[in-house]
Amino acid sequence: MMSYLSQAFTEWMVGGGREIGEIHIEPVESGFVLSHRDDVSRTDVIAFSGAEAARDLAHFGEDGRFRPLKTAPNLRRGWKLHLADFGELRRALDYFYPAMLGVWLSQRRGRLVAVSLRDTLARQTGMYAVTKKITDAQAQTMIGSFCRTEGGCLKRILWPLAPGVPVTSLPPEKFQAEAPADTLPLLCHEACNLLVAQARQVVKKAEASA
Amino acid sequence: MFCLSMTAKPHSALIIVGHGSTVNADSSAPTFDHAAEIARRRVFGEVYCAFWKEEPSLRQVLHMVEADDIYVVPNFISEGYFTRTVIPRELELTGPVTRRDRRTIKYCEPVGNHPRMTELLLRRAAEVAPGVPPERTSLFIVGHGTDLNENSAVAAKREVHNIAARGVYAEVLNAYMEEDPLIAKWDEHAAQSNVVVVPFFISDGLHSYEDIPVLLGIAGESGGAASATDKEIFRHNPYQLRGRSLYYASSIGTEPLFADVILEQVVAFDAAHAAAVSA
Repeated sequence: MMSYLSQAFTEWMVGGGREIGEIHIEPVESGFVLSHRDDVSRTDVIAFSGAEAARDLAHFGEDGRFRPLKTAPNLRRGWKLHLADFGELRRALDYFYPAMLGVWLSQRRGRLVAVSLRDTLARQTGMYAVTKKITDAQAQTMIGSFCRTEGGCLKRILWPLAPGVPVTSLPPEKFQAEAPADTLPLLCHEACNLLVAQARQVVKKAEASA
Repeated sequence: MFCLSMTAKPHSALIIVGHGSTVNADSSAPTFDHAAEIARRRVFGEVYCAFWKEEPSLRQVLHMVEADDIYVVPNFISEGYFTRTVIPRELELTGPVTRRDRRTIKYCEPVGNHPRMTELLLRRAAEVAPGVPPERTSLFIVGHGTDLNENSAVAAKREVHNIAARGVYAEVLNAYMEEDPLIAKWDEHAAQSNVVVVPFFISDGLHSYEDIPVLLGIAGESGGAASATDKEIFRHNPYQLRGRSLYYASSIGTEPLFADVILEQVVAFDAAHAAAVSA
């Protein structure tokens, strides 16, 4: 029996789905071929096969540096990845964009609960407890820079700063969950640990200069 | 492979939780490796990783899971702040067994707590110094010391006690990077001509690639730029130093048999909580 995630994703593919983040998915007779979306017509690329190869492709950027944020717009280029079946495709996409298929499906099924930045910061303990002190203005500036699509993160933000207080430091399209039929959206339902760590830096810096 | 008591759970999911890192690519590597190995064995219907500092995060991972029966095993060397506070909070666990939205989430003990850890350490010590008689060898288990993860030293001491009790090695010693007994003084602590050093960490990184080698005297300081190439430090055993033959192993968490210990923690959970789960 096909799982509900497999079923939803297959339906999306059959409906013309081809892009997720910077990845292009091409169905071929022997399975699927993935590439950087800007490399689709290139032939001078290195060929890989199997889902495990996606781990290194996703892990390191063009310059060989570690990519802690997989939805940063710096996926390396110059490769194509052959995957034999849907199971391989799903595992590869989970390396390239961890949890994004599952989060997308939860959103479609009405089961994705967005958590405001204030709620995320409020439950932090230890070295991150201090992040509660960030002001709304500091948070807006931080999000406007850290989460921006160009050079920051490709995810669409679904969470507000606080209940009823929207993030206003990024353009409106950054907050839209809907995407064209051929594109599977990368959705952010809660601030990541990288942003929480950034909030700590903002608060510490402000305290040091106060 | 020694996890023979594990029956297949095709309708269950396994989530292996690691700390992860935003700077060290090797931090999450063993957790991904163990997950890939367990997935390959088809013991669970689904196998995922989740991390505190990497993706998928603890707040994302449950969206990946389709099974209603979910085991969570922390890939941590000991109980502590992360296993008692961070992981339960982020996964919204209410105890060893959490029931929510038709799901049952079973929170297992951290990998490092399992009695099999003793065998893994013995195995790694034997592998790194093949043919070297243990009765003429001092074995060090090296922990961090002054650490957020306050119980890692307790776990390291327990393992030293367990290994010593087997009477295989001439002596088994604890040592730390930042507190007594200092690993930097290994030659003062060790009485034998052969010395084996095993870092008691969940993954390789700056500590095992550089900090401990510098303290041992087998490497110079590079300025903190540890990378995958630093695995070279494990390939030049034995080091002839301070009148001894020194054998240096990579972190115990990179041992492939960790995959078996992860499964053993699932078996141990079922044995300990059978009544609570069926209630």
